[in-house]
Amino acid sequence: MDALKQLESQFSKELKSISSLEALEELRVKFLGRKGEFTEIAKSMKGMSDEDKKTFGKELNETKESITNLLEGAKKELNKEVLAKMEESEWVDITAPGTGPKEGSLHIVSQTIHEVEDIFASIGFTRYPVREIDWDYYAFEALNMPKDHPARDEWETYFIDIPESKKGKMVATPHPSNNQVRLIEELETPFRALYIGKAYRRQADVTHVPVHHQLEVEAISKKTSFAELKGVIEYFVRAFFGEDRKVRLRPHHFRFTEPSFEVDISCAVCGGVGCRVCKQGWLELAGAGMTHPNVLRAGGLDPDEYQGFAFAFGIERILMMREGIKLDDLRDLYKNDFRFLEQF
Amino acid sequence: MNILANYNWIKDFLKKPADVDAFIERMTASGMTVDYAHNLSERFEGMVVGVVKEVADHPDADRLKVVKTDIGKKVVQIVCGGVNLVPDQKVVVAPPGSKARWHGEEEWTELKEVKVRGVSSYGMICAGEELGFEKLPHASEAGPLIWNITHATDAPAGTPIKEALELDDVLFDIEVTTNRPDAMSIIGLAREAAAVKAGSFNWQPKLLPKDGPRKDFSVRVEDKERCLRYQAVVIDGVTVKESPWWLQKRLLLSGHRPINNLVDITNYILHEYGQPMHTFDYEKIENGEIVVRAAKNNEKFLALDEETYELKKEHRVIADKKGPIALAAVMGRLESGTNEESTCIVLECATFEPVSVRRTARDVSLYSDSQQLFEKGLSPEATTPALARAIELVQELAGGKVASKVIDVRSSEYKSLAFDYKPSQVNARLGINLTEDEQIEMLELLGFDLERSSDDLYNVTVPYWRDHDIEDPVDFSEEIGRIYGYENIPPTMPVEPVTPGTPDPSLVYERHAKKWLKQLGIMEVFHYSFASEADLADWGIKRDEALSFINPLTVDHQYLRLSLVPSILRTIERNQGHAPDGTVFEYANIYLPNKNDLPTEEPHLVVVGYGETSSDFLKMKGVLERLMRQFGISDMELVRTKDNRYHSGRSASVLVGGKAVGIIGELAPTLRNEFGIDARTAVLDLNMSLVIPNANTSKSYSSIPAFPSVRRDVAMLVDERLEFTEIKHAFMNVEEIVRDVLLFDVYQGVGIPEGKKSVAVRVVLRADDKTLSSEDADTVLTKIHSIVEKTFKGTVR
Repeated sequence: MDALKQLESQFSKELKSISSLEALEELRVKFLGRKGEFTEIAKSMKGMSDEDKKTFGKELNETKESITNLLEGAKKELNKEVLAKMEESEWVDITAPGTGPKEGSLHIVSQTIHEVEDIFASIGFTRYPVREIDWDYYAFEALNMPKDHPARDEWETYFIDIPESKKGKMVATPHPSNNQVRLIEELETPFRALYIGKAYRRQADVTHVPVHHQLEVEAISKKTSFAELKGVIEYFVRAFFGEDRKVRLRPHHFRFTEPSFEVDISCAVCGGVGCRVCKQGWLELAGAGMTHPNVLRAGGLDPDEYQGFAFAFGIERILMMREGIKLDDLRDLYKNDFRFLEQF
Repeated sequence: MNILANYNWIKDFLKKPADVDAFIERMTASGMTVDYAHNLSERFEGMVVGVVKEVADHPDADRLKVVKTDIGKKVVQIVCGGVNLVPDQKVVVAPPGSKARWHGEEEWTELKEVKVRGVSSYGMICAGEELGFEKLPHASEAGPLIWNITHATDAPAGTPIKEALELDDVLFDIEVTTNRPDAMSIIGLAREAAAVKAGSFNWQPKLLPKDGPRKDFSVRVEDKERCLRYQAVVIDGVTVKESPWWLQKRLLLSGHRPINNLVDITNYILHEYGQPMHTFDYEKIENGEIVVRAAKNNEKFLALDEETYELKKEHRVIADKKGPIALAAVMGRLESGTNEESTCIVLECATFEPVSVRRTARDVSLYSDSQQLFEKGLSPEATTPALARAIELVQELAGGKVASKVIDVRSSEYKSLAFDYKPSQVNARLGINLTEDEQIEMLELLGFDLERSSDDLYNVTVPYWRDHDIEDPVDFSEEIGRIYGYENIPPTMPVEPVTPGTPDPSLVYERHAKKWLKQLGIMEVFHYSFASEADLADWGIKRDEALSFINPLTVDHQYLRLSLVPSILRTIERNQGHAPDGTVFEYANIYLPNKNDLPTEEPHLVVVGYGETSSDFLKMKGVLERLMRQFGISDMELVRTKDNRYHSGRSASVLVGGKAVGIIGELAPTLRNEFGIDARTAVLDLNMSLVIPNANTSKSYSSIPAFPSVRRDVAMLVDERLEFTEIKHAFMNVEEIVRDVLLFDVYQGVGIPEGKKSVAVRVVLRADDKTLSSEDADTVLTKIHSIVEKTFKGTVR
């Protein structure tokens, strides 16, 4: 019995001087290993009476458990120290750039299209595709602009070198409004539609690109009114530009709407008092109006029964108006310089 | 269209005018947008009348003069370059502290007392353009001209310019919509101002004189369909000279250049009435006989702009026996106009059919202020008051007597337009609730004449000046809406329930695809839809395969794209200097011509990787595989194809469901050189109109295996052209428990014989009903080894 107590106290003594995991392992082998001290003492069980063996065996197990516990405890302590040292030595430069997965980028025009699409979707406008190349009939004539009408001059239209059809010349659409009559023809009324298309205009300078993107909304029902159009516009402006921008509807003239107006928003640069980038504190945002009866007729609807509205703006224009991206040259958007694109 | 209109002129026709701010606000709110308002007294602040006393040469500069100028309180010395400076002349002096606009610059600059080439200068003596009067002559062959105001004012030296020249005024720059040529005039604007209660309209049309004929004068109109009305009168005994300052000033402020009293009067009428006029020298009209007729084909015409135009029979001319004296509605003939020697003149005031005016101007590329107004559509009723006013002004400013009767030839008797109008419909359209009386007052202020037919129904007569833009009863809703004010209409949200449409898959997937590509680290590019001839040729497309424009903006934009690849390659070529490695994508339509029909607009997705790390075929295939997985497409395969634009050993047709939907491959080295790209380049071009119908976002799954799988690696030496698919297919067919074959290494080089490659694959084995033993695996492996040796004629390593 004493031998066991002695063994335990000797173990405790030696344990105190242990300072590494390796030394601890040596200590474990010395005491609990196959040829260790403990095995030696256990051998003394040979020749004991059964009664003694039982008693000794129990004490033997208790001692072993106690030593094992002490070993485990010491191991934990030593491990803690090792880990602490490891953390101390494994220092990284946290100011060095991250090396995570490479990030791609979407063109700012794509991003803006997705954003405005979502805003109108939230008030029940469904997006439809729109043709980029269409007949003069849909681009002009059905929109209350007969041949030789001077209003056509407002669009520097691209004509395609193809013989005229029954629906007139083939044009690269100068606005996505060619969808106005096409959708009335195709969809069940009432409907609320949204389409985003390329607008082709023969202009290229610091404020014009020959192909830009336009969003147009069209709503047709028996009760559509100017007041509803105004509600939709104000909802959009608040959602896209924020609460602090003011909206002004300024009467204007478009052949395919009546009444027609332009939508201005207050200038963010000067806060609406007037500056170099705006006109007396206002920036032109969009054109809009109540669908002209002749457009409804062209789509086969009775203007005494149905009313509609349309509202359109340029994607490039609104993104510059909001982001405060001051492009010296709008054409930079389409120069595809990677140093420009990767910023978005 | 924009018009410059000074408020004092508008006030000639507006009693009790509103203050400037109210005018701007009300006009803009009702559709006559005031883009800018220039306060003239501010512009001329500090400037005074100077009287030149002495002009001496500058000691150190040939082109400069040193001018002693009396500015009232004192005589100052000013250095000036004007070649027309003479003593006793009155000039505009901008002393230090005032603002002027330097030659051609937009900004106004505050002047300081400075030394010019060593001589000190007290401000400057101004040229017209430095004061914002660009139309005043400011240079001659001899050099710059200063503005001589001797005849413009009696005021003594030192008088503030705004008093001396009566410039205490506000100049508005107003945008008038193209449907309202009637408002492109001072009277028209005053009428609009009265409608929005910014004053009350005060205009009495003048009456034509009734003098009997003395000179032989006749007018014959051959084409009454295009010349709707022609009025003319002879005035004899006129003196052509400079106009008085008050008239010159109004023209200058309106952007016209004063020339002489006769020309100035026609421009004055143009601005005040919005009615073009023309003067001819009576003596130059053969027999005093004017004919309005069709031009002859190839008839030559020397216009006032000193250019010769060749006419066609579709054009209309004003002519005498000898030939055209004016191109109708567009411009007069140089030699038939009035000049300083003219004493007997013909005043012409006419109306022409707008479409033919527009065609004529476009045909000969000759445009003028008059033609611009005519093509918008002017009323034939507008000529009489304009002519009466012109006759009055000629007599007042040039003297002379009416020497013929006023000739008046018109195509038909004028019939006013009239429409039915229902106040309730206007309310419904606008979403407001005005009373009938409120609506009627607005229409009457605009000049409409209303007659009540029954309850909620009126007959409205359109005033002559609106007989082109009012075309439909719906137009009354605009008139009432804009006068009521759009800001007063309450916003609401759409009330009628609408069944939402089905989202279009092509749009939905376009958006998804762009997002996925961004997540793969790829950059989006955006090009115009155009192609140049070189773009087509370099990509092996014949010119006649693509749609081309009649009127491209530049030769680079002659065609519509038939492939997105050339645009992207050109972009890479431009960027490779600063970005030698990268991957970009574009998602856009190409335009496939169809006989006698609109082209097919086919959406394509093109991904291009270039440079050392991005041009690898298998890397591009990885992009394709990820995309296909996102699209839920599992039956995609690649088949070698022959397309000489691509590297023959590193390209393939992309098949989905056995059908070709695109191409993937490294660009043929020669083609890459053609585009000037330095690095290897890989392209993926997918026709999305074929891919998207196969897309499927519904997810399926197989249950988690109940028993573990066993993996065994097999390394083998085989022919270098043996494709992985073949190996995989053969191994998979060995036994049902072979679940997958994964490629993990391919090696050629040191230690590997020529024509061979070392391939290492991992074979995944699993059974659904038990845990496989190593004996089970070994059985399969033996069979696989035998395939390697017998089928592939290779060796297991």
